[in-house]
Amino acid sequence: MPSTTMADRTVAGFEPARLALVLGGLVFLVMMLLGLLMKASQADLLPLDPRLFYEIMTAHGIGMVGTAGLTGIGILWHFLGRHVTLDERAFWAFLGLFLSGVVLMLGGIFLGGFAAAWTFLYPLPAVSGGVWSPNVAVLYLAGLALVGVGFLLVHLECARALRAAWGGLGRALAWPLLFRGRQDPVPPPTVVAAAAVTIFDLLGLVFGAAVILISILEILLPGVGLDPLVAKNMIYFFGHVFINATIYMAVIAVYEIVPDYTGRPWKTSRVFAGAWSVVLLFVMAVYPHHLLQDTVMPAWALVVGQVLSYGSAVPLVAVTTLGLLSYLYRSGARLDLSASLLVLGVAGWTAGVMPAWIDGIVAVNKVMHNTLWVPGHFHMYLILGQVAMVWGTLSWLAHGRNVAGLSGGDRLLLGTYLVGGAGLTLGFLVAGAASVPRRWAVHEPSWTVHDLPAVFFAMLVLVGAAGFFLRALPGLLTAAGATREAG
Amino acid sequence: MQAIVLVLSLSAIAAVAAAFLMVLRGLAPVAGGGPSDAVGALRSRILRISAVLGVPIAIATLVPWPHAVPAGSQVVPVHVRASMWAWEFDRTELPTGVPVVFHATSTDVNHGFGVFDPDGRLLFQTQAMPGWVNKVAWTFTEPGRYRVLCLEYCGLAHHGMMAEFEVRGTS
Repeated sequence: MPSTTMADRTVAGFEPARLALVLGGLVFLVMMLLGLLMKASQADLLPLDPRLFYEIMTAHGIGMVGTAGLTGIGILWHFLGRHVTLDERAFWAFLGLFLSGVVLMLGGIFLGGFAAAWTFLYPLPAVSGGVWSPNVAVLYLAGLALVGVGFLLVHLECARALRAAWGGLGRALAWPLLFRGRQDPVPPPTVVAAAAVTIFDLLGLVFGAAVILISILEILLPGVGLDPLVAKNMIYFFGHVFINATIYMAVIAVYEIVPDYTGRPWKTSRVFAGAWSVVLLFVMAVYPHHLLQDTVMPAWALVVGQVLSYGSAVPLVAVTTLGLLSYLYRSGARLDLSASLLVLGVAGWTAGVMPAWIDGIVAVNKVMHNTLWVPGHFHMYLILGQVAMVWGTLSWLAHGRNVAGLSGGDRLLLGTYLVGGAGLTLGFLVAGAASVPRRWAVHEPSWTVHDLPAVFFAMLVLVGAAGFFLRALPGLLTAAGATREAG
Repeated sequence: MQAIVLVLSLSAIAAVAAAFLMVLRGLAPVAGGGPSDAVGALRSRILRISAVLGVPIAIATLVPWPHAVPAGSQVVPVHVRASMWAWEFDRTELPTGVPVVFHATSTDVNHGFGVFDPDGRLLFQTQAMPGWVNKVAWTFTEPGRYRVLCLEYCGLAHHGMMAEFEVRGTS
């Protein structure tokens, strides 16, 4: 049975999840600035030395993915704390490990020249062509391992708390409701989502930790090695699961906050429970769609990758997207900045899934893979999806619900961010369709026609995002101070 | 192919945007409260249609198998070896009108073997990976100079890893 809520305990005192979200917001801005620098360089407006470009690219990639994870787990922890009793020491330990890992990785990148991209595709960290030393690669990978251990720790605590509160992860996933048609009490959507994410992210992190360890061993003891195809499978399993987990964690904010506006509590139905169980399986099983250009992979695995890419989009649209629309429709909700950003987050996520799914078709992947099409779709479901949900959550944590709705300033900020995000990501898609490769430090002159507008739109994104953050910051600090005093 | 994919994707994105705009314009409350049955019914219909549509989409895109490699005496094999940061081919003049099968591998890290036509359009790609040989088949129809660009990030000179080959009339 669920225990009593710990919401009061977590918000009294300096809640670590809130700190994670504030830190995450700040780092998002820095990473966006790095993204803008890269685009300006490709547009030949501010040419960077390729070595520095690839270092920035590595920092931008791992920084964005790590921060999406940091903010996602912050949202999960904050709202799960309303339903189960969590041990805050686990989250503080996570933050310590995360920040220690970041220091090592930043040192590896900007002091040591490590630039193997965030995917650290084996054996690139060990075989740099003389660009960075083996020790630097070990430093970076050790930092990554620390971050991974932090996430493992916090997910293990979530798993423990969910089992303690609900008598097992199956019950937290609402399986009695799903398979037998009844469960009393029914776990709330946050519990169902948290249970699913905890399970698949734990498995992803275990594979990630294993391949990091092997990569380190390969550097220290050359020849120990792993088959590059096996390593690629492990890395993409980990990477795919982890980045998807960041979005599935952030969507918990939608389940928890939007009902404040609609007056309609989000409920766990059989369809909802079924969809999350499908997500739990498909998120893990779909990863071969990252290896569609490895023809030595078993054909059945690539077929599974393609078919499940399509299948994964269905529960998302059916449950979260249509669920949100049905809760909003004729609800009388007056959307303020926070709610608007959360709604934008679900819309952007759904929209971004469309080009992602199409790229998951083997024949399409053959001409779209590793062009700017790929950053096109993932920037769409991050900038306009996960990250928008984070801005919405930060705004809500700072100000609560604004009954007056959107102010003129809010509309301006929202419009700036939306136009910037849509322009940037649609531009990426157009450039991908024009066969412009991704991850190239130097663009050919004919490609800069795509880069120049991207610089403008990236600036709009940064301005909008900075506006969201700065607007929320005083409220976040005041709220933290107030709760400290209350505690 | 790329243009069709772009139009389909933009249409799907536009449909998502339209659905959200429609609902956001219909926020005004009505008596009765909860989420409308009509939306629930729509959700069930979308689920059913999606499930049914998935089968023909899968068949149409997977049959014939996109990675199928033809065999026979007509096939022209080309062995491609990638190394930081250069491409090595065992032949650089290829015919039109007959299937060419590229056998791509790498001596060091992962590379992406992407072949671009003389207009700069990506025709096909595969991964060049150490310890493995990926095969990809293509029948060239137009003579000209084709370029090979690396499409998998492979370190400092990734963007400089290019090569060219010539396609001539049928040999």
